[in-house]
Amino acid sequence: MLMRHLRLIKRFAAVSIQNELAYSANAWISLLHSVLNLGTGVLGVMVLFSQVETIHGWDLPSTLALLGVYLILSALRGLFIGPSLESLAGMDGEVWTGQFDFTLLRPVDVQFLASFRHWRPFALLDLLLGLGVLGMAMAQLGGTMTAACLLAFAVTLGAGLMILYALLLAFAGLVFWSPGFLFTWVFDGLFQMARYPASLYPGWLRLVLTWIIPVGVMTTVPAQALTGDLSPGVLVGSVALAAAFLAGASAIFRGGLRRYASASS
Amino acid sequence: MSGRDLNLRGGWALVRRTWFSWMQHRGFFFLLAFSWMMPMLIYLFVWSQAAGGGAGGGAGGTIGGLTRSDLVTYYLVLILVNQLAFCTNNWTVGDGIRYGRMNFLLLRPMSPVYDALASEVAGKVVFMTFALPVTGVLALILRPELNVAWRDVGLFVPALALAWMLRFVWGYWLALLAFWATRADALLSLQESLIFLLAGQVAPPTLLPAPMQALATVLPFRYMLGFPVEVLLGQLDGAQLRAGFAFQTGWLAVAAALFVALWWAGTRRYTAVGG
Repeated sequence: MLMRHLRLIKRFAAVSIQNELAYSANAWISLLHSVLNLGTGVLGVMVLFSQVETIHGWDLPSTLALLGVYLILSALRGLFIGPSLESLAGMDGEVWTGQFDFTLLRPVDVQFLASFRHWRPFALLDLLLGLGVLGMAMAQLGGTMTAACLLAFAVTLGAGLMILYALLLAFAGLVFWSPGFLFTWVFDGLFQMARYPASLYPGWLRLVLTWIIPVGVMTTVPAQALTGDLSPGVLVGSVALAAAFLAGASAIFRGGLRRYASASS
Repeated sequence: MSGRDLNLRGGWALVRRTWFSWMQHRGFFFLLAFSWMMPMLIYLFVWSQAAGGGAGGGAGGTIGGLTRSDLVTYYLVLILVNQLAFCTNNWTVGDGIRYGRMNFLLLRPMSPVYDALASEVAGKVVFMTFALPVTGVLALILRPELNVAWRDVGLFVPALALAWMLRFVWGYWLALLAFWATRADALLSLQESLIFLLAGQVAPPTLLPAPMQALATVLPFRYMLGFPVEVLLGQLDGAQLRAGFAFQTGWLAVAAALFVALWWAGTRRYTAVGG
């Protein structure tokens, strides 16, 4: 079963790459976008820390590490989760046009198909740039890193990715209730808040960013793990939160699927 | 100028039609307004935390001479100014040329600029019905102090009008590049990044590091967004004000000249894509 899904993913990715290669000029534009995205992110943090030394315990290297995590997560989103779910629930998406009928007829699990179908190979460049920022920040953080830190970082980054996927899936699933509304755009706006540590937001917003739309957890917790500021409770908590959100999002998506009655004119 | 270019009655009818049609789709446009507002909201929170003091106010330090309250006011006004000065024409006009929708506009007995203007008016009305309540609620929560001198309000109005005109004409000439290159979008993305960094979004221009500040003063982007806000809040002295207005009108003249030249050359070259 798993092997079959992996084989399918390989096929999906290969087809997507062939599609992209047909538009070679796009490569340069994607390159420009990646560099601009990196530049605005890094300069934004630099401008802030040209005025202050630390904010709520966050200094330049640790905030850069957090930005690195943000860039990595958004690159992974751009690699497959984003394009796949966007083709379902985005502007002129399949649910809106009724094309989704054909997706439902395929002999594979619909949630799997909806999540892994489209790949954007250029996002690998964003991934590299994000890893670069993270590496730079880690070099600046210096010798405080222990093996336990790195392990905690890997676990919390994984949990962050799961939460990101769960939220995107849930927001895409909402489209079955209100087909014209671009829920993914709402998420885009909220996700940007993950560029900065959750503790930089006022209390009421921090609660929302931790428990309701936990974009704060995705980047803040891994960055804390890296700097060694993470308590075991938060580590366990973020994994549990990821599991709960995955289950919830899956339920929303499947509940939405049952509502789907095709599009008609 | 011929009658074709100044068909005011037709122009107004078009404005009204576009306005009503946009209000019908206001959910979509509220969403757009929300996503434009977001970066500025983030920096509002980040900078006001950096200046010390929690969300509820209280004692705090200053950053570069700005208090927490100054920063909150700056960003709330910036959000409103951005909604007023933001122009979508650099995307829509370019798409119109690429997909051949420009054909219909060129056949109408009035200048296609009316079409972009109609979207502008419609957009401002729809976006403000979203932005005003949101900033109002934020102002109630964050309680910034607002001390504005009447003289500054008097200067703010022309600065805002010029900012909008600059952004509109600047966006239009960039969009006209679509007559020659099919992918002028790359330039637009570059412009978006420069506006983010230099126009006062990532930080109030006075807080930018010296090299970026120098760039912000010389390049047109600050005069599309941040400059009117600085004028309103009295952050500029006499010499800076005079220089600012000089740069703003200067860049507007450059943009207008580019627009006229590109329009003249472009419409002669234009053949629609189609079939």
